[in-house]
Order: sequence, then C-alpha cells, then structure tokens
Amino acid sequence: MRKRVSREHLIPLLFHAPTFLTLTAITMFPLLYNVYTSLHGYRLAVPGSERQFVGLANYARILEDREFWNSVGVTFKFVLGVTVTQLVLGFLVALTLNSITRGRRILTSLVMIPMMVAPLVVGLMFSFTLNPQFGLYSYLVDRLGLALPQAPLSSAGSALIVLMITDIWEWTPFMVLMILAALQSVPIEPIEAAMIDGASEVQTLRYVTLPLIRPVVVVAVVLRAIEAFKEFDKPYILTGGGPGAATEVIDMFTYREAFVNFNFSYASALSIVLFVVLLAAGIGYWRLVMEGRK
Amino acid sequence: MKARRRRALRTLFAYAFIAAFLALTLAPYVWLIMTSFKTRVDAFSIPPKIVFKPTLDNYVTAFLDKGFTGNVKNSLVVTLATTLFSLVFGLPSAYAFSRFSIRGDRILYFYLLGTRFTPVIVIALPLYLIMAKIRLLDSFAGIVVAHTAFNLAFVVWMMKGFFDTVPAEIDDAGKVDGCSWLGVFLRIVLPLTLNGVAATAIFCAINSWNEFLMALILTGRRTATLPVAIPGLLTPQGTFWGQIAAVGSVITIPVFILAFTVQRYMIRGMTFGAIK
Repeated sequence: MRKRVSREHLIPLLFHAPTFLTLTAITMFPLLYNVYTSLHGYRLAVPGSERQFVGLANYARILEDREFWNSVGVTFKFVLGVTVTQLVLGFLVALTLNSITRGRRILTSLVMIPMMVAPLVVGLMFSFTLNPQFGLYSYLVDRLGLALPQAPLSSAGSALIVLMITDIWEWTPFMVLMILAALQSVPIEPIEAAMIDGASEVQTLRYVTLPLIRPVVVVAVVLRAIEAFKEFDKPYILTGGGPGAATEVIDMFTYREAFVNFNFSYASALSIVLFVVLLAAGIGYWRLVMEGRK
Repeated sequence: MKARRRRALRTLFAYAFIAAFLALTLAPYVWLIMTSFKTRVDAFSIPPKIVFKPTLDNYVTAFLDKGFTGNVKNSLVVTLATTLFSLVFGLPSAYAFSRFSIRGDRILYFYLLGTRFTPVIVIALPLYLIMAKIRLLDSFAGIVVAHTAFNLAFVVWMMKGFFDTVPAEIDDAGKVDGCSWLGVFLRIVLPLTLNGVAATAIFCAINSWNEFLMALILTGRRTATLPVAIPGLLTPQGTFWGQIAAVGSVITIPVFILAFTVQRYMIRGMTFGAIK
C-alpha cells in the first residue's frame, strides 16, 4: 500500500523539492559515483582501467603513501597555525573595535576588505609583494637590514609560513566580525556587577566576558578550521605546493593526483577520505550549534 | 581629571592599533592596484615607486589584445546564471524552513549544511568524469549547475534568517484572504524581504565570481572565467605582472562596489548568516 503524504507535508516538500533535487543530482550522485570510481583502477593512461574492480586497494595505498602523509602533516600545521593566529589577532582587533564608538562602522567595513578579494588574487598579491625583483618585501628587508629570508618562497620552512600569512591576512577579519558581534551582544549588567565587586578589567574580561562569548568563538574557530582544511587557491598560485612538497596541502595533493597524474581512482579514494574527515567535523559542528540553540 | 586623561589616551591607542592593523591589511592590496597602473619600468624600479605616471597600458593589453574581455563575459554569464538559479531554487526552500516544521527537516538542513563542509574537489572530480561522458565539460551549463549546487546552502541559510523576521501573522492574513501558500510566498512575504534577497543575490554572485577550483576543473578554453584565465599570464617566457595586476583589479573592484551597496547586510553575508 502506498503511504499517504499528508497535505500538511506536501506543501513544504514541494517548496523543498527544487533545492534538494538539485543537491541530489549535483552533489549526492557525484559523491556516490566517486565511491564507485574509488573502488576501481581508473587511470587515464590505461585504457579499460575504468571497469577494473580493485576493491579497497586504493584505500590501502593511501595508508602507505608517504606523499599523502606529508600533505596531511602540512595541512594540519597550516590549519593549526592559521586558526590560532586568526583567533588571537581577531580577538585583539575585535576588543579594540568594541572599545571605540566613533567611526566603528566604517572601520569595520574596511577591516572586511580582505575577505572579499578572490582567494586566487590574494595569492597573487603576495607573490607580488614577495617578488625578489620588484617586491616591496625584498626591498624593505634589504633596506632595513632585517634578519628575514630574502626569498621566503624558496625555502621549505618559510614558504609554509608565507602561505599561513596569506590566509591570516584574508580571514582574520572573519574572526574579528564574529567576536565583535559576540562582544556587542554581551549584556552590560554582569560586567557592571563585576566592576562594582572590585574586579579589575582583565578579571572581568577573563571571568565574565569570555565565558559569555565562548559559544560564538567556538563556532568561529570550527568554521575557520574547516575552511582552512580545504585550502587550495592560494598555494596553487603562490607556491604550486613547493618547494618540494613543503606547502602541498591535502586538496592540492588530491588535485595533482587527479588532474596532473590522471590517477582518477586513487584521487577519488583520497577525496572520499577527505569527505569523511570533514563530515565528522560537520557533525561535530552541527551538535555544537544545535546544543548552543537549546 | 586623571581618569579622563587615561581614557583619552586609551582611545588614542585603540585608534592607533586599528590604523596600524588596517595599514598592514590594505598595503598589499593597494600595491596590487598601483602595479596595474604602472609601466614595466616603473613596476620594476628599485626603490619601488610610490609616485608615478599612471598608464592604462596593462588594461589595454590584457583586455583588448589578449582577449581577457572574453573571460569577463564568461565570468558574467556564469555569475548571473548561478545567482538566478540559486535564488529560484533556494528561496522556496528557505521559506519552507522558516514556516513549516516537518518530520525530517533537520536531516534536510544537515544535508544542506553538508555541502558547505564538503571540499570542492570531492564533488568536482566525479563531476568532471561524469561531464566528460555526457560532453558537458567546457560548457556554461556544467559550471553553472555546479556553482548553483554549492550556493544553495548559502541562499537557504541567509534567506531563512530574513524570512524569520516576517511575522507569521502576515502569512495567516494572506491565507484568510484566499491566497495559496505559493501566493503568500510570492506576493506577500517575498516583497517584504526584497532587501534580503538583494543582499543574498549579491553575496551569491560574489561567491561564484571569485570561485576558482570548480571553474578550473570544469571550464575550458571556451568558458574559462577570469580567475581561471589568470595563471595563463604566468608563462615560462616571463610573467606579465602588470597585466596580472590589471586583471586582479578587475576581479576585485566590482566585488567591493557590490558589497558596499548592501553594507547593512555585509556582516551577515560575510559570516554566512552566522551573525544577524
């Protein structure tokens, strides 16, 4: 017997239909197709390999792939480095912006500018600034005699730091916005009460304000970490993953396997692993937001 | 007196800190814009020139001689079509999330949210293989469909927030007057949230306009968008820095203009609706 869809459900379902049919066709179906590909041995160089079933061989290969683990290491360093720096810097700027009144709106708008620059252009901008021939950076290092590397993109350690700086540049404003909004929603009473009780400003911040804004800060950090995990555009244009594989984040490694080496199936397996990791993070985020709402 | 002076000093310090932060933030971007107006000689001069005679040569070369105008057109087609489809598909769903509570809509919401957490490459790779089969690679349809799918979550999330601000009594009044749900949505609620729709459309457009990885994979010579075309200026024979700067400026400036027209909603859009 056919289950009857009640009239009350029919209308919302019709309203939801365009979005969810599109999502199913354009994200769910490709995702399943990706799982299928990952179980085969599809390589562009080998005709007919598309239908060669290999089971979990691609996943087994991931475990032994040194380059993969290198990219995992690079990505984690990157995510940790940028998220922590953005949090600290964003917190300082937000606190400062919160303390002023005149011109806060326009200053906040100016702070937002980096988030609107296309990530690819952010990468380009930094390769301009760091260009050894005409970049502002090399000139300043030279002129001021700073103890900084002349060509930071050509050594492994500093290239990753440069990459982090590009992301810190682009996304610190996000932390500023989130934390500033949280600070502005903090009610005045508990702060006044603390002050009257003789708490110093630092104590008030530490024991009254911080606990109140914690939920928003956590959400901001999780969102940023997830975004940073998906980094691609900036290393693509700025370092190409180099020198060596020093800045090859996971997304770039997967891209290279798929569209430079044309190991489609192996890249599929890689991206499925990536998806599972981020799905877990997504579920964590969901719990956080939902519990925050309760 | 002393307290007042201390407060003035602190305010001064606050402004100084923000000024320093902004200077550091905006310097590399201003540098890019300046380079786009420099001749090759000025661009490479040491010490770097702050004052120089501006020229439009880079823009002329990139957009007239090298065909970047074609990429501008491609970008416009992809952006406009993506925005249109994202709104047409996403708005009803946002309205339904705002007004109806049905069994399983939390799952739908999570499904939607999931697309935001999914790395582009996870979907772009199979889409590439599928589109190669059905000959949709390097077509506008292919990239527009992909961008739309990735923008729906944004539209629904943003617009649900705007629809929530319209009291449900207004819907009820419309129902009493004999409107269907679709009529209530189209004739009553939507006109009340036009500001929100405009802001959502603009941020949708910015997302699509700036997007790189999906476009890199799915477009080709015929449909390459602006960001995809840029790496073509980094050639083994040399890098055309001035032209890159010109194209970079053309990508970013419209975004600022658009974003500032909806300044009121900028924070909401930039935080993906996380902050109202």
